Amino acid sequence: MFKKIVVFSLISFAFLIGCSDDSSSSDTVWEQKSQMLTNWSDNFIIPNYQNLSDRLSDLENSVAAFNTDPSLQSLEDVRDFWLQAYKTWQHVEMFNIGPAEQTFYHLKMNVFPTSVSNIENIISAGNYSILDNSPYNSAQGFPAMDYLLFGIAEDDASIINLYSSNPNYGNYLTEIMDRMVINTNYVVNEWSSYRSAFISSVENTATSSANKMTNDFIYHYEKGFRANKFGIPVGIFSGGNIYPDKVEAYYNKNVSRTLALEAMDAIKMFYNGNGNPSLKQFLDNFATDEMPNLSSDINTQLDLCKSSIQGLDSNFVNQLNNEYLEMAATYDIIQAGTVLLKTDMLSVLQIATDYVDADGD
Amino acid sequence: MILEINNYLKRSTASSKLAVFRICFGLMMLYSMLRFWSKGWIDSIYIAPKFHFKYFGFEWAQSLGEYTYLLFVVCILCAVLITIGLWYRLGMILFFFSFTYIELIEKTTYLNHYYFISILSFLLVFLPANKCFSMDVFLRKKQYKEIPQWTVDAIKLLMVIVYFYAGLAKINSDWLLKALPLKIWMPSKYDIPIIGETLLQQEWVHYAMSWGGMFYDLSIPFLLLYRKTRFFGFLMVVFFHIFTAILFPIGMFPYIMIVSALVFFDGNTHDKIIKFLNKMIKPIGSLWSTVTYDSISQYHYKRLKGAQWILCVFFIVQLALPFRYILYPSELFWAEEGYRFSWRVMLVEKIGYTNFKVVNKTTGASFYVRNGHFLTDLQIKQMSFQPDMILEYAHYLGDHFKNQGHRNIGIYAESFVSLNGRSNQQFIDPEVDLLLEKKSFKHKHWIKPFKDEIKGF
Repeated sequence: MFKKIVVFSLISFAFLIGCSDDSSSSDTVWEQKSQMLTNWSDNFIIPNYQNLSDRLSDLENSVAAFNTDPSLQSLEDVRDFWLQAYKTWQHVEMFNIGPAEQTFYHLKMNVFPTSVSNIENIISAGNYSILDNSPYNSAQGFPAMDYLLFGIAEDDASIINLYSSNPNYGNYLTEIMDRMVINTNYVVNEWSSYRSAFISSVENTATSSANKMTNDFIYHYEKGFRANKFGIPVGIFSGGNIYPDKVEAYYNKNVSRTLALEAMDAIKMFYNGNGNPSLKQFLDNFATDEMPNLSSDINTQLDLCKSSIQGLDSNFVNQLNNEYLEMAATYDIIQAGTVLLKTDMLSVLQIATDYVDADGD
Repeated sequence: MILEINNYLKRSTASSKLAVFRICFGLMMLYSMLRFWSKGWIDSIYIAPKFHFKYFGFEWAQSLGEYTYLLFVVCILCAVLITIGLWYRLGMILFFFSFTYIELIEKTTYLNHYYFISILSFLLVFLPANKCFSMDVFLRKKQYKEIPQWTVDAIKLLMVIVYFYAGLAKINSDWLLKALPLKIWMPSKYDIPIIGETLLQQEWVHYAMSWGGMFYDLSIPFLLLYRKTRFFGFLMVVFFHIFTAILFPIGMFPYIMIVSALVFFDGNTHDKIIKFLNKMIKPIGSLWSTVTYDSISQYHYKRLKGAQWILCVFFIVQLALPFRYILYPSELFWAEEGYRFSWRVMLVEKIGYTNFKVVNKTTGASFYVRNGHFLTDLQIKQMSFQPDMILEYAHYLGDHFKNQGHRNIGIYAESFVSLNGRSNQQFIDPEVDLLLEKKSFKHKHWIKPFKDEIKGF
């Protein structure tokens, strides 16, 4: 009797699996996720890191030229390449995964506001190795360069004068430039071997790359984009006390909106996958009957964010000093996107949002 | 009727039944505790957090800091005592108190099966599970062949309640008519071999699992109770729980339920198990057999009436508690008023996103709180969709900021929750100052009404 039951259930089980296979001419979930990871690594992560590496290389050359011959022209060159690289960075910031995560790379590239006192202390003491310590993360990377290129003296002439008269400034600029290049190239090089591990980690666990990358994307939207670029300067976490000096590229005074829009585009491109499988396609495939339009709702919200940012002053410092409530309104629109990503999207994707390992029931 | 009850209460059964149950329970608890320890959860759940969520009325159950490890040591020692049946009553009482205390420290880790362990260990305190094959028998040189039938039936009744109520809870429109939340959960199990990419992706499988799960929970108590279907029922128990163990991260629960189901088998089966265990411990067994016991046919309680009354009240509470949700006007799955302690397992997929705004009521200035400063990731996740925790945390924040010197503040929640794949909806009334709301069992008027309807139990 028992044997019969076992045999019968095995046969019917095999039959069921056989039946369910033929209906799906489309790819299995595993294959879809695999394609998504391949798309992320080959069309987003690796090319963007490579792009950043190239831009930093240009920047490095211009810094060397500036140091040899500080002039208005060579300073402008450095500034141009700095902005090019900073814009590219906005496409990389969400990829805090693998070699970047292991080396705390992101913390060395774009922690702002930069610490002017730390920078000045290191310049006068010349003790560069102190930059290895985490409290000095904000004394390097793009924000430190922002200060060194735009804020270190009253006007362009006095900036050039400073670099010509005291080599310590040029040396420090070279030091943080080298660090940015070395740290970035390390990540770029590691990716050639990390790639296969990344795209093969398809399973649904808190540590698989599919899940980690999705979590990183959401984290970037919430922290790097929403809080750092908007929430903190506009005083969301500080009782309405606005902090114009906590704006990204504060010393440049003119590109905070450009960088925010670049980050916005990067977020939207990643979400949509640029024609290949990404989060949007997944939401379409797994849409629940209750929210069939979730994937386009998210796009609508991201578009709203973009147009709201476009309405702000190109310099967020001016925006905060004149009409900070407009920027607070932009924050609210971005916040509505966070809600969509963290509740609706996660509910459909069924991805563990944290690394907490605990039993459920 | 009264005569029948009296006759029933006088019936007796093999003492080996409770002995086997005791040994299984002890071993399971021993393993569970060691597993919990080895995963580092004692620290991450009970020691590391700055703030612990409390059950209403049990705010006194504070974390013991590093000494929480001692609490687990007590639990582990008790599990050993229970397994070998040494000082059984004392071990069981201490186990009940230490285990329950641990659960009371932190509410965000509430699981139905921890609650099950708590009340089961309470029940076991009153049952003669050490009258056969135990160190107590060895030391007192008295063993009993039989114990009252009702003592075994008490465990069966508790299990019947767990299964049957879990089945009743599945009779709702989301579970049966929409196959929710299984329809959301199963496709994400694509990484399970063989069935992950095939069966679990099929919608009809989600419906079959929903209906099957409901019928399983409702019928399994009766399949186990009825002699002719018992073996089949047990196979079902094994299959079902192993299946859920593969699908969900539910720890030890499936195994605890499987071994607990042994209690439904007759005395012969248990005698065989005891014989088998006797063989296993042969080295010590020789010592065992040199002692002569007074073999007494039936065990009689010293304070029978007291035990019976306590258990009577216990079961009335168990039967009534899951229905307390009727007293609340809100949607049960949404507001979770009367949700816990009711065997509602695996019924909802809920994700919340909740932020708190601290407002200076004099100036109108406000700022938002970074939850990560105060809570662990697990706490944030659980708090974000459970109103009682949102309120408790708001009061904690209120105290924190008042201590920092903020005066005349209000705390408002901006909370969005998605339930069973529905679009997120505002969860807490953002106009309500939570500092003005008190913790209580009363209906929480500041929970926004659910915009949909879920019919059923």
